[in-house]
Amino acid sequence: MSADSPVAAQNEYRPSGSLDVASALAPYHGPWSTKLAAHLLRRASFGGSPQEIRAATGLGMHAAVDKLTQLVSDTFPTQPPGDISYGPLSDPAQRRKAVIATDLWWLNRALLTPNPLQERMVYFWSNHFTSGIGQKGIPPQMMVNQFALFRQYALGNYAQLTHQIARDPAMLHYLDGIANRKQHPNENFARELMELFTLGVGNYSEADVRQSARAFTGFTVDRFSQQFIFNPRQHDDGVKTFLGRSGNFDGDNIVDIIMEQPATARFMARKFLRTFVYDNPEPELIAAVADAYRSSGYDSGQLMSLLLRSNVFYSGRAYRALVKSPLELAIGALKTLGATAVGLRTLGALNQMGQLVMNPPNVAGWPGGALWMNTGTLLARLNYLHQLVLFKPAGEAPAAGAMTNPMAMSPMGVDALANAPAGRLADPASWVAGAAMNDPLSVSERVLETVVQSDATVEQQQNILNYIATDGVGNRVALSAENFEEKVRGAVSLAMALPSYQLA
Amino acid sequence: MANRRQFIQQGVGAFAGFLAVDSIFARAARAAGGVTLPGSVGARSLVVVNLQGGNDGLNTLVPYGDPNYYRVRPSINIPAGEVLRIDSSLGLNPNLAGLKALYDQQRVAILQGVHYPNPNLSHFRSTEIWQTGAPEHIVDTGWAGRYLDKAGLPKSNLFKGLAIGPILPKMMVSEKTDVPTIDNLRGFGFRNTRDEQAHADQILNGDGNRYPFQSPYLELVQEVEHDAHASSTQLPHLVAGYKPAVEYPKTPFAQGLNLAAAVLAADVGTKILYISLGSFDTHTGQRVQQDRLLEQFGSGMKAFYDDLAAHRLDGQVLTMTFSEFGRRVEENANRGTDHGTAAPMFLIGGGVKGGMYGDHPSLSDLDFGNLKWHTDFRSVYATLLERWLGVPSAQVLGSSFSTLNFV
Repeated sequence: MSADSPVAAQNEYRPSGSLDVASALAPYHGPWSTKLAAHLLRRASFGGSPQEIRAATGLGMHAAVDKLTQLVSDTFPTQPPGDISYGPLSDPAQRRKAVIATDLWWLNRALLTPNPLQERMVYFWSNHFTSGIGQKGIPPQMMVNQFALFRQYALGNYAQLTHQIARDPAMLHYLDGIANRKQHPNENFARELMELFTLGVGNYSEADVRQSARAFTGFTVDRFSQQFIFNPRQHDDGVKTFLGRSGNFDGDNIVDIIMEQPATARFMARKFLRTFVYDNPEPELIAAVADAYRSSGYDSGQLMSLLLRSNVFYSGRAYRALVKSPLELAIGALKTLGATAVGLRTLGALNQMGQLVMNPPNVAGWPGGALWMNTGTLLARLNYLHQLVLFKPAGEAPAAGAMTNPMAMSPMGVDALANAPAGRLADPASWVAGAAMNDPLSVSERVLETVVQSDATVEQQQNILNYIATDGVGNRVALSAENFEEKVRGAVSLAMALPSYQLA
Repeated sequence: MANRRQFIQQGVGAFAGFLAVDSIFARAARAAGGVTLPGSVGARSLVVVNLQGGNDGLNTLVPYGDPNYYRVRPSINIPAGEVLRIDSSLGLNPNLAGLKALYDQQRVAILQGVHYPNPNLSHFRSTEIWQTGAPEHIVDTGWAGRYLDKAGLPKSNLFKGLAIGPILPKMMVSEKTDVPTIDNLRGFGFRNTRDEQAHADQILNGDGNRYPFQSPYLELVQEVEHDAHASSTQLPHLVAGYKPAVEYPKTPFAQGLNLAAAVLAADVGTKILYISLGSFDTHTGQRVQQDRLLEQFGSGMKAFYDDLAAHRLDGQVLTMTFSEFGRRVEENANRGTDHGTAAPMFLIGGGVKGGMYGDHPSLSDLDFGNLKWHTDFRSVYATLLERWLGVPSAQVLGSSFSTLNFV
């Protein structure tokens, strides 16, 4: 085991299984490696392409984090192509097409954005302030607008984002804000705001739910413009008592009071740690992160910058300590293979893996962790990866340049990729760039490095080498121009079947 | 301690996790230990059929004797002359001839007016409620998944639960038990080339201590990869000896039941299977859509039980149907019906005490246009858990529910 391995880092910071809080959030000064660069990109992006991992390795830790947190100009379309509007009367086929076009547009954003941390945070916020495309009559455009809000506040201020989400039309539909009227308050949003979005269970009473629901009355969606409006005639302007304070509160006052509570920072600190570091964070680590978040005035960019540079983030306890969500698995694989676009088959495969894009299972979001893993979803994962690695565009594939904006290709943007998991993939030779082409050992080492940064057992490494160096019945075969591509594809597929590859 | 250790090695130790012990439990433990008593708890299985989309109960079990029915369903009713009559007021949709034949053999119990408190009219949430068994809270596991976790079945058995279809239903989501999801036998497994397949075994099974990193999830991923690989390799061999005794209809639903029969005949210890049929979401043109689906349901179940009977399994396989909700009592303007609440459930099999249970909900005393339920679906689950599968139900369902007499 080399000195710069994550396990060595784990020994440094967790000698007896307990956490040193004083140093946990201090900047990491240990050795920088390809493994840690890839770890950073798995958490702060949707995985890294071989080029991105090489670049991050060369930059060093701080510069690599700077590159993720400092946003650059982004020309990727902020809107799906074609007509994604649909009303309750339009036909089901058009509705389905609009949802698919919107899902695919966002998957392509996740793959191709020049600001991957920003889009990774969009994913984070969309699984926090949940809404679902097509649920409760939410049309695609409303979800696109909600994702634009998440993008605006991706690394911005969480308190302000909470104010904005309370008046977001998709949210007003999803949690029945539009049915929250002066005479008949609907508690759905008020309850979830506290239980799942800010304070967490145990930090408010049922009376607080009822009182705050009254405060949010009048927040609604204009039937014609589909935009947020405040309807004073539906607003209850009586006195409310909320978390020990009384006044003629409206929704914004409620959010302000919630943001003053230490419980809110603790709740969010735990969520950030569970999502980006490891999913059973120690109470003292949660407390330290909560302090940092609260004292920054809920600056999410500052918090992510702190976490992504910290000792605990690069410790052995964090390394491959999370299960990849299907989305992270698929986008990560597409990046590994140099895909130019996400195709429709990827969307279907994600469904089989248990993740409907832009549509979490319920208001609590995707629970993640062990619940991603069962025989059915695992087979779906491995079969998707296998199909992807073997994928060769049929007939005349669009030129690589045309694929950088796959949505420009056809009116709905999806037809050309209908039967494909992806746009063009990079030349398989590039997956093993630098390998001696006729040397099976060299090729197998490059495959393992590209796919899992060599996180495999000696036996697994030997097995992939054997696959490259022998035929199906154990006879030695030489690598040649004739079998090279097939062997590389097969070896990459096997490497993607490694248990390590399922872990983020 | 040595005895307990041996007990665990026989794969029955986890039964000790249950608080209550009764005579059924003792028999189940014996059966799980290898003594198979025909028809005993240990040999019993449950098949769950999800009539997904919200099946209209009123056009399934038709209250043809109630004039209100023809008043609220002017254009989509089942004429009294076509109803497959059960008694002077109720009868089955004419497309359920297969089910009626089973009913006449005393092998169908019909539970009326089943639903849950504060009905939710969203497909998604209501389906989740039925599948998690938790109307009040969002929980991450399904009721069958929790049963499998707590039932103490042998860990080596990869087919304790089985979902037939493309994705794992929430009902089967568990903390500890992996439930294979099979669309059809041919598609179940890794789609590797044969050349790669030779290497897949070793790739999927690394020695957990020999990775260059540690992870709390490594063991889980390895176990699931192993189970997926092993079950997809084993299943074709396990069912190879099975020959259907009847010709199943060519519908995907009946073909799925055929696969279920093959697995049950293979006697690999499968306790619970899931299959779905739909969509019953008949907002427009209800008669055409629902009649077609009910025909598939009835003929599929008839073939399934005839096949099971030929394999002498009909007494130990019980089928339960559910749907996320029934539909609105009054038809809408599009010859369809909107989302509703209470509906009947069917319990089918040789182990069932056939007949009607509970009263038909009133068509005039409604709850905002919907039927009033009187039987909580968790009582049905509790009955199946306690009286059919032989385990205490409170740990699976979170609290105690009264049991019913259909088994």
